[in-house]
Amino acid sequence: MPTPMNRGAFAQAGSSLAFKTGTWRSAKPVHVHATAPCHGACPAGEDQQAWLALLQEGKPQQAWERLVTTNPLPAISGRVCPHPCESACNRGQYDQPIAIHGIERWLGDEAIRHNWPYPRRAGDARPERVAVVGAGPAGLSAAYHLAQRKFNVVLFDSLPEPGGLLRSAIPPTRLPRSIIDAEIGRLLSLGIEFRPRTALGRDVSLDDLRSEFDAVFLGIGAGKSRHWDVDGAVPADLHEGLALLREWLAVGALPHPNAVVIHGGGNTAVDLARIMRRAGVRDVHVVTASGLPGPGTESDDVLNVVPRELEQAIEEGVQFHPHRTINRLIMRGSKVVGVEMVRLKKLPDGNGHKARVSFEGTETVLHVDMVVPAIGEVVDPTGLEAILRQKDYLGVDRFGQVNGHPGLFAGGDARDGIKGHSSGTVSAAIGDGRRAAEGIDALLSGRDADEEKRPALPYTALNLSYYESSPRIELSTLPLEKRDDSSEIEGGPNTVDALAEAQRCFSCGNCLACDNCWTLCPDNAVLKTMETASDGSHYLFDYDFCKGCGLCAKECPCGFIAMSEDE
Amino acid sequence: MNQTPNDPRSRQPRFRGLEAGHRACQGCGEALAARLVTEAAGPDVILTNATGCLEVFTTSWPQSAWRVPWLHSLFENSAAIASGVEAALKAQGRRSKVIAMGGDGGTFDIGFQALSGMLERMHNVLYVCYDNEAYMNTGIQRSSSTPHAAMTTTSPPGKERMGKRHLKKDLLSIIAAHHIPYAASASVAYPQDLRRKVRRAMEIDGPTFLLVHSPCPLGWGHDGSETIQVARLAVQCGLFPLVELERGEVASVMPLRQKAPVTEYLRLQTRFRHLFVDDDHRAREEREHLQALADYNVERYGLTGDGDDPFDADGADTVRRGGPARA
Repeated sequence: MPTPMNRGAFAQAGSSLAFKTGTWRSAKPVHVHATAPCHGACPAGEDQQAWLALLQEGKPQQAWERLVTTNPLPAISGRVCPHPCESACNRGQYDQPIAIHGIERWLGDEAIRHNWPYPRRAGDARPERVAVVGAGPAGLSAAYHLAQRKFNVVLFDSLPEPGGLLRSAIPPTRLPRSIIDAEIGRLLSLGIEFRPRTALGRDVSLDDLRSEFDAVFLGIGAGKSRHWDVDGAVPADLHEGLALLREWLAVGALPHPNAVVIHGGGNTAVDLARIMRRAGVRDVHVVTASGLPGPGTESDDVLNVVPRELEQAIEEGVQFHPHRTINRLIMRGSKVVGVEMVRLKKLPDGNGHKARVSFEGTETVLHVDMVVPAIGEVVDPTGLEAILRQKDYLGVDRFGQVNGHPGLFAGGDARDGIKGHSSGTVSAAIGDGRRAAEGIDALLSGRDADEEKRPALPYTALNLSYYESSPRIELSTLPLEKRDDSSEIEGGPNTVDALAEAQRCFSCGNCLACDNCWTLCPDNAVLKTMETASDGSHYLFDYDFCKGCGLCAKECPCGFIAMSEDE
Repeated sequence: MNQTPNDPRSRQPRFRGLEAGHRACQGCGEALAARLVTEAAGPDVILTNATGCLEVFTTSWPQSAWRVPWLHSLFENSAAIASGVEAALKAQGRRSKVIAMGGDGGTFDIGFQALSGMLERMHNVLYVCYDNEAYMNTGIQRSSSTPHAAMTTTSPPGKERMGKRHLKKDLLSIIAAHHIPYAASASVAYPQDLRRKVRRAMEIDGPTFLLVHSPCPLGWGHDGSETIQVARLAVQCGLFPLVELERGEVASVMPLRQKAPVTEYLRLQTRFRHLFVDDDHRAREEREHLQALADYNVERYGLTGDGDDPFDADGADTVRRGGPARA
């Protein structure tokens, strides 16, 4: 457009807009909604950054609603998850990670307190029926996400109450029963038909389910203890760790040895050790091949226990023997009087794999009168013989479909490892249930299953000039002398702390509406809109004038702007 | 022009005194500074402009990027023109504020006597100097604002010298000696602070002065995307202190919570490249000299402290996550 000429020696105001400086550009800024590391690390698939952002705006209910679009059980997972999100949190490299588990738990508890309803997905009712076997975390999550997708869901469990291992294997000191009842009760009221006391292989067969339903999801967990012996020797009165824990939770019965050694390095081992210690067992030893967290222990070699639980166990007097295994049982007749331990470590072999190597000459003896193995569990094959085929776990693809069995899905502790997904936690099971719901939906809709994937945001993409050091909130722990078998040991944050902690979030990879790009563009080429622009922020690039200097990308605190080649 | 009412550009929630389409280089600190100053000053102003980059890149005939009255005459007379405009407005009984603008060449050197006269005659004018520390428009010649040891085309490093031999003129102290109501330094890296200082100066009846540190990617030799980073480090290392002077007395300073070493600032710019030559003992000497100058500023203005900085005090549009929340 030609610029009007004036007879006097003056130019019209703002007439430079006729000159499009955008033609100078060789690179252009674009908005990139990258994956925050917390989101990337979450086995349940939560986008913590997204719900923390809503909390920053002072909208707890909306934050919770955002949270439960992926994880319907935040009050539970906020308590029992080992929170890999916090280990991944970019803030951890700056000062201390956000206390995500504490805020998650607070949101879950608020939802229970205020009786917030689940937000419902829009869509028409689906005629297909789906059976979900097992009302543990995986089954509950699958049932929830299938119900949200408007399928007819029938949930089976062998026990009278839903919850699976949440109820049968996690002590109330970590997870109060009232929380389980509240969250699961709300979930089931979504229109899910629950059939308790119905065991697979006893009351109903897999073939029946497969003929009666359009798809079947197996969230049956791993209910059988892995076989344990030491060079073929087993004490006559052997009790498995998980069985002891279940018995104690169900009827309060617990053996009372003078000294016990628990072999294993998972939550079962540590939970049982703490219960026995609190019940007055003088010496409680935990022997584990893994290392304790700290310098000198590689991340793939750390005890698979929530770190704060480990600290509390040590406080309570549980004695840990890391990087050791039981080499020999010392028996008098068929009775154990001690064990011989030997040191070992996970070391690379010649083929690039890591294997445990024990070190001769490091044997030591523990005098105990009881040995409890807690080395893990495998799938109980009852009713599944044809599918398991002698294997310990069910092999599945990323969306839970059991290999070679279209229409049959599995998740949670019952499945084998999947590349890129962690296993063996409540959160992993919740994630499995959600992905399986997508897999089932896709199968029944005749499309390919899909999951949103965004690039990860590295710490170096943040502009740290806009953040300031600020300590993480302290979460309370019940003092040692007040700990018993029923009171919850960990406290959650109060409202003030939860909201303050949310403010510490860097907002990795997502616009936090700071106006930096709009304020700092020397060319007025960033415009602000009232509406949310299609890329999720309130800013637009005016490519007519953007010269491509890259200043906005550099000064974006959260790495939301990237420079890309321009033609 | 050529805008519909629904065009997002015409609906921006801020006043745009300087519009897009100007011909500044990519990442120009001065273009940003001028936009921020006019944004804070609002529409009821008349601008005068000394010769320099700002004058050239905003007004390629027959276009203008300005959306407020703007005059340019010569290199040396921005303050004189502003004095005349102000006197004329006064005679007409009008209250529009006059803002005189110039670069460091037009302020520290060529327009210095006109500026001094304007201050001495107590004209109701805000003078804003966009300080990019050399004559950039004509090809990066040294000015009296060029910092010690910086390379320009007329202060090249070599056998005899390590860049500019002399020191940066302490203009703010000279301005302060005029005993004017308000003089301050600001930086494009702290836009809230800059705008607050403009508003403060605008409401004072009398001569006021603002020195705005405005990096020049071309003349300083850094990437256009690093303009803010460079400006921020200049403040944080102490070489460019942000201070406010009232009647010549220090009224407030922006505290440095974490002082950056000057090398962090220098290393980003090729005008200081010769200070990082490994086997030249003079390089180390000059680095230490610049560090000592920064330390001198810190001591002189008492910059260390943990008080409010502009992110806290006026953080309406720049994020600060964590850290002290102050009202």
